[in-house]
Amino acid sequence: MTLRSPLQWPASYPLALVIALMALVPVGVLFGLASDEVQLFDAHNLKVLTNTLLLMVFTVLGAILIGVPLALLTAYVQMPGRRLWLILLAAPLAIPSYIGAFTLYAAFGRGGEIENLSGLPMPAMDGLAGASIVMILYSYPFVMLTTRASLLSLDASLVNAARTLGMSLTASLWRVVLPRVATGVAAGGLLVALYTLSDFGTPAIMRLDTFTRVIFVEYNAFGLSQAAMLSLQLLVIVGLVLFLESRVRGSRERPGRHLTLWPGRWQRLAIALSVVPVLVLAIVLPLAVFGVWLFREGTEGFELSYAWNSAHASFLAAVFAVVLAVPVAHAAIAGRAGRLMERMTYFGFGVPGIVMGTALVYIGLRLPFLYQTLALLVLAYVLRFLPLAVGSVRSTAEGLDPSLVKAARVLGASPREAFQRVTLPLTVRGMVAGAALVFLEAMRELPATLMLGPTGFETLATYLWRVYEAGYFGRAAIPGLLLVLMSALGLALMLSGERRAEFDVTETPHS
Amino acid sequence: MQRRAFLHSLAAVGALGCLPAARALAAGPVANTSVNAVSVDQLPKLEGDLTLYLGRGEGGLYENVLEAIKKRNPKLNLQIRRGVTAALANTIVAEAKAGVRRADVFWAVDSGAIGLVADAGLARALPAELTAQLKPGFQYPQWAPVTGRIRTLPYNTGRLSADQIPDSIMALADSDLTIGWAPAYAAFQSFVTAMRLLQGDKATGDWLRAINKRAKNYAGELGVVMGVERGEVDIGLANHYYTLRLKSGKPDAKVDLAFTKNDAGCLVNAGGILALSDGNLPVNFIRYLLSREVQSYLASEAFEIPLVTGVKPPEGLVPLSSISPPKVDLTQLADLRPTLNLMRSVGVL
Repeated sequence: MTLRSPLQWPASYPLALVIALMALVPVGVLFGLASDEVQLFDAHNLKVLTNTLLLMVFTVLGAILIGVPLALLTAYVQMPGRRLWLILLAAPLAIPSYIGAFTLYAAFGRGGEIENLSGLPMPAMDGLAGASIVMILYSYPFVMLTTRASLLSLDASLVNAARTLGMSLTASLWRVVLPRVATGVAAGGLLVALYTLSDFGTPAIMRLDTFTRVIFVEYNAFGLSQAAMLSLQLLVIVGLVLFLESRVRGSRERPGRHLTLWPGRWQRLAIALSVVPVLVLAIVLPLAVFGVWLFREGTEGFELSYAWNSAHASFLAAVFAVVLAVPVAHAAIAGRAGRLMERMTYFGFGVPGIVMGTALVYIGLRLPFLYQTLALLVLAYVLRFLPLAVGSVRSTAEGLDPSLVKAARVLGASPREAFQRVTLPLTVRGMVAGAALVFLEAMRELPATLMLGPTGFETLATYLWRVYEAGYFGRAAIPGLLLVLMSALGLALMLSGERRAEFDVTETPHS
Repeated sequence: MQRRAFLHSLAAVGALGCLPAARALAAGPVANTSVNAVSVDQLPKLEGDLTLYLGRGEGGLYENVLEAIKKRNPKLNLQIRRGVTAALANTIVAEAKAGVRRADVFWAVDSGAIGLVADAGLARALPAELTAQLKPGFQYPQWAPVTGRIRTLPYNTGRLSADQIPDSIMALADSDLTIGWAPAYAAFQSFVTAMRLLQGDKATGDWLRAINKRAKNYAGELGVVMGVERGEVDIGLANHYYTLRLKSGKPDAKVDLAFTKNDAGCLVNAGGILALSDGNLPVNFIRYLLSREVQSYLASEAFEIPLVTGVKPPEGLVPLSSISPPKVDLTQLADLRPTLNLMRSVGVL
């Protein structure tokens, strides 16, 4: 935080403003493109809208149904190896949902891998039901982690008081605890909603016509204006969810002693039995399917350059995102106008990759020196994932003791020197965490990579998509496993670097 | 060449020569002179940078061909952009409109996409001695068909017998069979275009609507055939080679091919290649795809129909003389936009 006279803008403002305006460019492009299109809305659109909303609602409900009990379990229940349980239950975050969709689609159904290996007939996993199941399995950790963070911030003495006054444990959890973590649940649910709206691979693999899938079909017919129109319709929904999310803020209770529950042996067994199916479906099955494929087909067709390309592009995106995030984060701390600029960059995260891709393809065609270059792809990543870096840098910077900067200023340092010598070194941790997060997301990103990548630039994600489309499922094993492995590493780095309460799986003492 | 192989290929030439569609197309300015397939040993070495737009490369098989060409020509820097054929054709046209040219050659699995690019005036003329290697009826001044494919109805042999399948594609709409299809797939869209040209927009729209009620969507036509084999649906709409490929890997597969008669359901289409930039390199690259080795490979491994003179047709395919494809000018299949609009308006895309 810098000292300033009322008339002078903080130094970070001009830069932050430019970056914030840049984040809005894709939307402007979409408006320009969509103005060509006469067809605003037709019967098919209504079906697409219904599918999209149903998938979103089912996924959010499912994620809450699974996520909240698991949050209670991981926050309060004393189980052997509880840290391990927590990490395992958060692990689906490390698996991109399209990988889950791919493997579950291949495992179930007639002639699927499960039937091939065991002879047991299995129902097919596709359509709205299949897409919902997959999305729930890979997004419930959002709800679990936000809810758990809220739970850990509560004071157990209220529950103890309720128990003392004769309320049963279940009733007191339901009537005393849950109402106070409702905002945490809602925050997680809205994250899930955003994730569902922007996902492309899962509906495409499950053959459900949602906005993202239909936009891709339009793009493939180079119906850019129709794709732009659909993109804007999708953005309206995304904007609504983003607005709701901005209304929901975590509880502000003074944290107290944690509630601790000691289950009996049978209860422990029951808990384990109810948790295991989730883990089997979300983690064991996909990895097992990849294992089978790897055993059957080996590494044929795969080149190491795919992994290198993924890492290379994602690394560039991570570096640029953090560089741009620093001024935005500092502007956000400096004042109201800066906070508005920060909000503007958040828009990019709500823009699904496919929408960003549509807009940037058009920009590329207008600016041929950018068309099909790595630069344009990295720009897409940066615009989409900048908010992750901003959030991470800002939360670290906010956590700084402002008196340190004041002390530096009193001792004669200029605002710039104070920033360079005090604020910056102390926010490095947040920058690393932000970079890891951007890296992680960029590496998993599929549709924008398909649309914008340079010719011959095959990444793990695009190669995975290619073998899916060609029906050479076995070749997905290596890129799929690598993607999961790199995601897991990124997630571990993020979790250890970033001590934001929501995504903290380590036991930080609250008292 | 062995006597039997020779007779085989001779029969194929004859069959393709009498296809009405082929004859209609043969009216092009290129003379009907035939030269036998050339071996890659006789071809010039490829050197320099070449960007290929490859329309959905039939999985690993086209990739294997390209790998082999790269291996033979170490000084060739071949960049490949892969995508849905129609998408790449549209991309090439959009790029040209924006004054950008990225592709030197375009290998499409579908002649409709080729026609779209050629109609935009982007294809470069090919030397007459190159097109002369192609079978009569498949010689075009601006592009070279690489392989042929037939629209077919793969059906589940556990559920249906051949005589239960209507021999008219339009009648399929009135049957009570469950159907698998891939509406987003370029070959399917070309087939709908052919139906539009033959039956008109109204009948095609009604047909799409009727089929849609009982159809299951797949991402691609290999998926359709696999779905038919698994018994997810009774019957599918797909190019012939997916079924032959599946059966070659799994001889007891419960799937077989049925053909309709004299309508879009048994359209004979061709995948092809065209040059987008001047110079010898693109043309010489095309020569490699028309070489005896590549053509034989695509026939024996991909089960596609070779279109260069003197190459054996794929195993397991009925003689072409036994099917009756409709009279459609393949280059008219480029008229994709109305097809997409129609498919969208009836809600199948």
